[in-house]
Amino acid sequence: MADTSVVLGEGSVDLELDEGLYPRDAIYGAAYVFIDRCYVLLDRVAGGRIKVALRAKRGGAADSAALAGELQNELLAQAWRRAIAEENRALIEQVTTRALAGAAGPPGLDELLAMDIGEATAFEDPLGIAMSWEEKYAKKKAAPQVDDPPDAQGDPPPEKGS
Amino acid sequence: MIELRFHGELYDGFAIDEAAKVYGPFGVIDLAREGDAFVARVTVGAAARDQGVDEATLAAELANYALGKTIELRGAGGGHGGAP
Repeated sequence: MADTSVVLGEGSVDLELDEGLYPRDAIYGAAYVFIDRCYVLLDRVAGGRIKVALRAKRGGAADSAALAGELQNELLAQAWRRAIAEENRALIEQVTTRALAGAAGPPGLDELLAMDIGEATAFEDPLGIAMSWEEKYAKKKAAPQVDDPPDAQGDPPPEKGS
Repeated sequence: MIELRFHGELYDGFAIDEAAKVYGPFGVIDLAREGDAFVARVTVGAAARDQGVDEATLAAELANYALGKTIELRGAGGGHGGAP
């Protein structure tokens, strides 16, 4: 049996499809596209096949051959679109998750309060936020040398205890 | 009277119920479950017939509504913008 069979009537089309070839969602999607200009009826027929019956509404397109062609094109497009979406599902989910996480902004007070802060991590300050300005930016003193050299005027260093 | 048979695998029962409610004012719509199928028996009302509504159109519109609602409930719309 052919995968697809078409019966053309006067302003109507009966198309029988193999569900293995066109997923059901693709058939629904294609039917939905025609629902504004045709009366559409789906039915299950023997051998795992689905029948799509289109009948043009009054004043709608009455060229049944064109209607059949459009329906077949739409079925193919829907099936292909779903295959692409399925292939890229992981990527789409990843991008969406990143976008949502970025849109959420910095943590609020509730999130900060909910953070697990234990004794081991409570006093860690890797960014030096808790340091005073002087501690953080003061010029470092030169390390004292073992033998104190005389100062610039050549005076000896003061004696200890004087 | 026109009898419509909607296959239970392809149509959503809630969608058919809703279609019957929407088109109920135009006639009498009896719903029944027979095996795998939802059956709708459509008879146009006198008032609707006087307004030019024929039974075949009423039945076809009901079937379209049921299909459209089924597709929307299953989230399988095509995304082409061709739907009503």
